[in-house]
Amino acid sequence: MHSADDPVHRSKNHFHPSTAQASNGYEGDYTVPHTRSAPSQNAFFSPQSAFYSSSSQQTIPTNQVASSMELLSNNPFLNVGIKAVGDSMKDITGKTVNMLPNEMKKSLSSIKDYFAVDQIYVMKKLSLLLFPFRPRNWSVGYSADGPVPPRVDTNAPDYYIPLMSVMTYVLVAGLVLGTQNRFTPEQLGMHASSALVWNIIEIGLLCLTFYILNIQSKLRTLDLIAYCGYKYVGMIAALSSYLATHSLFVYRCSLLYVSISLSYFLIKCLRLKILPDTSGSHTYNANGNARRVYLLLAIVLIQPLFIWYLTRHLIVT
Amino acid sequence: MGFSLYSLIEAALLCVNAVAILNEQRFLSKINVDNQNYPGAGAYGNDHQNAGGAKQQLLTLIRSVRTVMRVPLIAFNIITILFLILFG
Repeated sequence: MHSADDPVHRSKNHFHPSTAQASNGYEGDYTVPHTRSAPSQNAFFSPQSAFYSSSSQQTIPTNQVASSMELLSNNPFLNVGIKAVGDSMKDITGKTVNMLPNEMKKSLSSIKDYFAVDQIYVMKKLSLLLFPFRPRNWSVGYSADGPVPPRVDTNAPDYYIPLMSVMTYVLVAGLVLGTQNRFTPEQLGMHASSALVWNIIEIGLLCLTFYILNIQSKLRTLDLIAYCGYKYVGMIAALSSYLATHSLFVYRCSLLYVSISLSYFLIKCLRLKILPDTSGSHTYNANGNARRVYLLLAIVLIQPLFIWYLTRHLIVT
Repeated sequence: MGFSLYSLIEAALLCVNAVAILNEQRFLSKINVDNQNYPGAGAYGNDHQNAGGAKQQLLTLIRSVRTVMRVPLIAFNIITILFLILFG
């Protein structure tokens, strides 16, 4: 092929600098083009270096990044290497997953259930989060192995909406900062890590409270994570209303409305899970009931607090 | 507001350190005295959740954290100290 001749041809013109530039022949695409003729003069010349130099010579005038990516995908040695690393990683992760205790394995596989959503479910759930006040049936259906995936039952919690709304929250926060000329790219990362950290703190404290107050409820930890993630939808609604109107009054009104609707939604959803069954045998401990009610109230009340706290620094009066 | 994952790790390490250095004689035995009068309080099954149950759970939690985390805490502390020395 003609390009293979080029290094040989060019090397005849650049005879002197070859020994000095032989060392950086492999980084040819990051330096000035004429040094790439060096590998052909090199004692360690191999078809591999010709491959590097030929493809990089063709693409150097256009884009440095594109040429390095082409190098990575065109080189057969690298392909084999990447495939070997990928296989061994899959091997290692398979082995470590098998080493986990049985409950965690079941949790890991049931996480897949939480992502089994479809569009109708998402639309219904979002409209429910923003307007839950219509009379409806809030109970969750159960199948033989456990909770029903969200595709089948609208009342089931899912992970898709919280995950997407966290990402949208980070982007909307960036947008709001941009309209106030306060935006830098580090803010995006900072908002994302803050959201993650506050979520971890919140869920950790709630799980600790469940344990200390010795409350046995049907609410699994994974469900709790999902329910704690629904507040980001409200945050996005409040932030976008502020973005559209830039008025503090509209922001406060939307904050109030979102808090009320989220609290109503959470009370209706969690009431069946945390509060004791009226038909079962758990009705004889008044203290336990009071604790459950207080815990439910605590869960429901910290959500608006978080919504206010995570959005107030974005508002400029 | 600008929390990072590292500050969370640091805060968790400090909290666990605080739990680990509670003095048995002065502090924990005093709380235990109140609970010893009711030795079977937590043993009547899960239906009877009285107010003393919360203290029992807390003490069990503290005791188990101290037992489990004694040695790993040493390692975590050493790593964190080295990390802070090297990277500020």
